[in-house]
Amino acid sequence: MKLEPQAVLRFAITTVVVIVALLLCHALWRHYLYAPWTRDGRVRAEVVRIAPDVSGLVTRVPVIDNQEVKKGEVLFEIDPQRFQIAEQQAEANLNAAKAAARAAGANIDAVLASAAARKAEYDMRQEQAQRRQDLADVVPKEERTDARSAAVTARAVWEQAQASGHQANAAREQAEAAVVQAQVALDRAKLDLERTEVRAPVDGYVTNLDVRVGDYAATGSPRLALIDRHSYYIYGYFEETKLPHLRVGDPVDIRMLSGGIRLKGHITGVARGITDRDNPTGRDLLADVNPTFNWVRLAQRVPVRVDIDEASEPKGLILSAGMTVSIDVQPRRVLDKER
Amino acid sequence: MPREVALADALVPGLLLIYLGCLLVLWGIDTLIGRYGLYRYVWHPSLFRVAVFFVLFGAAGLLLYP
Repeated sequence: MKLEPQAVLRFAITTVVVIVALLLCHALWRHYLYAPWTRDGRVRAEVVRIAPDVSGLVTRVPVIDNQEVKKGEVLFEIDPQRFQIAEQQAEANLNAAKAAARAAGANIDAVLASAAARKAEYDMRQEQAQRRQDLADVVPKEERTDARSAAVTARAVWEQAQASGHQANAAREQAEAAVVQAQVALDRAKLDLERTEVRAPVDGYVTNLDVRVGDYAATGSPRLALIDRHSYYIYGYFEETKLPHLRVGDPVDIRMLSGGIRLKGHITGVARGITDRDNPTGRDLLADVNPTFNWVRLAQRVPVRVDIDEASEPKGLILSAGMTVSIDVQPRRVLDKER
Repeated sequence: MPREVALADALVPGLLLIYLGCLLVLWGIDTLIGRYGLYRYVWHPSLFRVAVFFVLFGAAGLLLYP
């Protein structure tokens, strides 16, 4: 059978076009699978949960919901009366402790003087006894023994006075320690009083303000959220297939769902762990492994942290934590070539 | 070419526009080939048409879609 040239040509043209189509589709599919971009990005921010450091009735709330506040601004105030009273009490305690310390100091002087008198008495008795001892021929034995006893007694009294001196010293040290204690208590009372004004720890926006005048605010229970205005960042949830094509420091294009605003940013980190959803702990502490298909596998998404370049933010931009953005990583080919 | 375009507030991949464009171009090519009778040189016109579409779509997607 002889092949007609035209038939061969027809077949060849079609085959070439089909093969080119297959190659191009394969390339496009790879591009789709691996190009580092995602529509699954979220704006996030650091949220400070503001809780009072002291308990009490709320007497003043000078901020309103969603207000922008500067660092150090008062957010709400707790009734300070109790803490003022506590401060006065601590001050009085301090004064009392100081007076006690002075009294202890005076006591020491008295005890020292008394010890000196006892010492003099002892010296006298001792000399007396010595003299009588030396005159053993003329002084009767009874008198000499008495004199010796008197000297020993005087010595004991002197030693007692010395011990009293040590005691008085210790008492003074105790009193001085009590002064320091009272001072610390006063400082703490002042701190408590200061903390009745709950202040903003960062510049930011008041959110979910849930505190009213008259509420009872308990120590440590958060009453409002303060969003740090300098802390907005983006978490892009990239499929794991795309991770090899992005690196820390890569510039990214950010497009917000709200109004299509474009921002610039750069990658600052890749999460080094996500929960294994196929393996929660089941009953009896046994692994609860999902029976998945062998053919279909879903790429896990790994959070990649992107910091927004503030210079690229348009004026009046409203960023809310939780907004949706698309992220397109610009591969750093140019930078790599320079290297 | 943006990665995604907003159609009535719904963001869809930009590839959709490329797809529509390729359909138009294919229609044009099809008309031209049909007018000049060039399908004589094609073994299997339907297969050829599908293949041409995918050539267009793949090339445009790779070139325009960053």
